Amino acid sequence: MPNVRVLRDIKARDIVRANEIARRAYLYVARNQTLPPQVRHQAQLQLNTFDRYSRPTTVKNRCYETGRGRGIMSEFGLCRFQFRLKALHGELNGVKKASW
Amino acid sequence: MSAVVLPSRLTALNRLRCAIFQTSYNPTGIRTGAKYLRKRLRGPSMVRYYPQEINLSQIARQYPELELVNEIEEQRLQDVEDRKKRGKGAPKKAKTKDESRRTSKRR
Repeated sequence: MPNVRVLRDIKARDIVRANEIARRAYLYVARNQTLPPQVRHQAQLQLNTFDRYSRPTTVKNRCYETGRGRGIMSEFGLCRFQFRLKALHGELNGVKKASW
Repeated sequence: MSAVVLPSRLTALNRLRCAIFQTSYNPTGIRTGAKYLRKRLRGPSMVRYYPQEINLSQIARQYPELELVNEIEEQRLQDVEDRKKRGKGAPKKAKTKDESRRTSKRR
């Protein structure tokens, strides 16, 4: 069972996907300098009404094993300690402990 | 010695180049917001980050005829019952404001 931070992150990911196209459309209008300022302002106000989790920057890649938010090896989606444990158990393909 | 090219000729060349290569002619560099439409959508790959977990209670609710037993959940409910018997259960929900612990004096 994932911990609460992971659950919140999953929720954020779902909301981002659901609102992405609408957000992009409003962004296009708001940032388009060829459109009248009133229209652009209205679009910006609409952008502000979106859910706080609908921004793609609220999504954070967390360790899928422990839910830790820092020290994530992005190639494996694991935090550094879980990466070490799994690598030493030989559960990660092509990963070998260095020794020279 | 270099031939002098008129600026008007250069702008005409630029406009023609844009028409040929199907790029938008934007000599003043004004922001059109096109980059928000051009970017790929990030949602679909974001949703796929965490591996799918099998939710046993959800499956049990969907297919009641299978009579699945979620042992972890059964154990948890059993533990709660045992704690209640020993008088260690969660307190009753306050019905009025006076009953709530927040307003009552701290011990």
